[in-house]
Amino acid sequence: MVSITNAHNDLIHDAVLDYYGKRLATCSSDKTIKIFEVEGENHKLIDTLVGHEGPVWRVDWAHPKFGTILASCSYDGKVIIWKEENGKWSQIATHAVHSASVNSVQWAPHEYGVMLLAASSDGKVSIIEFKETGTSTPIVIDAHAIGVNSACWAPVSYQDVESDSNKPTKELRRFVTGGADNLVKIWKYDNDTQLYVLEETLNGHSDWVRDVAWSPSVLLRSYIASVSQDRTCVIWSQENNKGPWKKTEVKQDKFPDVLWRASWSLSGNILALSGGDNKVTLWKENLTGNWEPAGEVQQ
Amino acid sequence: MVKLAEYNRTATFAWSHDKIPYLASGTASGTMDADFSNDSILELWSLLSTSSDKPVCSIKTDAKFNDLDWSFDNKFIAGALDNGAIELFSMNDSKTTVSSVTKLLKHTSPVNTLRFNPKQTNLLLSAGSNNNELYIWDVNQCSTPSTASSYTPTSPGTAMSSMDEIKSVAWNRNNTRVFATAGANNPYASIWDLKVQKEVLHLNYTSETTGSKPLLSVVEWHPVSSTTIATASGSDTDPVIVTWDLRNANQPLKVMNTGLGKGILSLDWCAQDSGLMLSSGRDNTAQLWNPEEGKLLSQFPTRTNWCFKTKFAPAVPDIFASASFDAKIQVQTLQNLENTFDKEETQQKIKESESEFWNNVSNEEPSQNQKPTVLELQTPKWYEHQSPAANWAFGGKLVQILPDGKGVSISKPTIQGLEPNEVLND
Repeated sequence: MVSITNAHNDLIHDAVLDYYGKRLATCSSDKTIKIFEVEGENHKLIDTLVGHEGPVWRVDWAHPKFGTILASCSYDGKVIIWKEENGKWSQIATHAVHSASVNSVQWAPHEYGVMLLAASSDGKVSIIEFKETGTSTPIVIDAHAIGVNSACWAPVSYQDVESDSNKPTKELRRFVTGGADNLVKIWKYDNDTQLYVLEETLNGHSDWVRDVAWSPSVLLRSYIASVSQDRTCVIWSQENNKGPWKKTEVKQDKFPDVLWRASWSLSGNILALSGGDNKVTLWKENLTGNWEPAGEVQQ
Repeated sequence: MVKLAEYNRTATFAWSHDKIPYLASGTASGTMDADFSNDSILELWSLLSTSSDKPVCSIKTDAKFNDLDWSFDNKFIAGALDNGAIELFSMNDSKTTVSSVTKLLKHTSPVNTLRFNPKQTNLLLSAGSNNNELYIWDVNQCSTPSTASSYTPTSPGTAMSSMDEIKSVAWNRNNTRVFATAGANNPYASIWDLKVQKEVLHLNYTSETTGSKPLLSVVEWHPVSSTTIATASGSDTDPVIVTWDLRNANQPLKVMNTGLGKGILSLDWCAQDSGLMLSSGRDNTAQLWNPEEGKLLSQFPTRTNWCFKTKFAPAVPDIFASASFDAKIQVQTLQNLENTFDKEETQQKIKESESEFWNNVSNEEPSQNQKPTVLELQTPKWYEHQSPAANWAFGGKLVQILPDGKGVSISKPTIQGLEPNEVLND
């Protein structure tokens, strides 16, 4: 167990390990991001990234094939891209496409290239693609009235082209958003129009949806976890990437506090839920399709 | 980038207390529509509706509105009418229709303002434009036409000095028996205590620069501290917002000068964050303050007429509405930062040729995309929540934020079933 105490002067909002589990990025209300090197039980502060003008809500590491790159988002309405080269961190891009707090940021599956998904209190999500020419074209979508709290990519998947079995399967590029309108929405990329269209609206919460997480598992069944201020977690599942989404509550009764975050293990079968009572609980699906506690988390 | 909604009405309004709020608008008294219609209407709007032209439902009323308020339990919408009536309305359970519940007829002059009690949600305080017309209604006792006709509202008791026309009332948010009033022509605000049945305190402010006592026209209580109150002056000579601790009412806590030199007509102290307050008035604009530090945070774009009411959506303070005599109620987000699209638009404008400029200038609504001036970016308290924010990482590791919020731990949780040799406690 590694424990880093007093990493920041103010509340930490996110802490993420990179692909190899060697570097940890943390971000805080003190407006900074810190990068730690983690080796066994030891850790070392490498750098403090200063640039945001408000609390930094989330950070996400890009796939290592693109370099050592980190994205961060803040109340200041900006997404900043940071890069390490020869041991030095610097800002390589700033995206100010939103007019209010950017509440989540996530890199797309690396197969899509260097692409970011950001969600904002201005009610929109943006998809920013970094092309080889260096320029990026943001796509901005009106997603949830009153604000978007979280957005998450689906893993790369494919859909059969029904009419002709000889045709190759079609790439299915999707993401999920959760908003202040209590809704969960699924968006799909349309290759013909090159736009994202609303595929499904899932209504299952009675208060703000705080986080949505699409399981990285690439089985035939898709899983999305949505957590809410209504103190429930809903698992939405879909067979074979088509048809209706089935709603399952992780727990029949409510959680003791608001649920803020959901995270799937890399294999996609263990779900970690973080609550306002500072507790993390782990869940897995049993053979009957219900969800049960999966183990304890050390505090 | 744009406002959430804009309703083309010269109307006063009230928010419902829902997380996805409704807005009730009522035709403002003393105004005339462009078509010279003299009708008055109460309309209900949904923020989820894609059209800003069509209300969810509406009802015609006998007279125009001076004020509207929505009870904290969402049961009643109360309208202060120009003809001296208070009319109670309610929405049906499926929120598709609105109907008149009853009319309360006691005031002998136009009802200027009214407010529901935040804690004892059945209590309604109303003020008329004639002297001494200040009433407290228990809406549980008078919410049908038959009970309303025989019902007599409570009078708050004796005033310290002869009262003038009351323009603003506010219930204390913690002590249900205490409220404050301010008039149109008085240099003082009054604090009333129903327990002792009288006005217990006068507040007045002497300007440090002019030595005069400006007229105090708006009162608004602190959301948490029962002894802290804000007053605003409606006079153009000394338009200040002043906060007070009633335990030492001789000296203000903070004096905030709007710097625009016009009287203030509306204040709203945010219930979820006492470090935020909205003001608006005859300077045709709304401003966001940190009243605890006495600092101006944001200045919203100027409109073409007085902004007479500006209120946070009570359950979603990210959103506020502002009504102006420019015939619009604007609903916008508290944060409305300039982004790259706005900058591109500005760049595009600069590139316009002279003839293009003169062709476009008359067709455009100039204030459509104006941004507020942010003097200081202050994060509202409701954003700064604490959570362990656990994230899985490679190798079955779980990264989580420590309970104090300042540190991080990386652990490898034991998963039941995956390590069958481990003895697990239940």
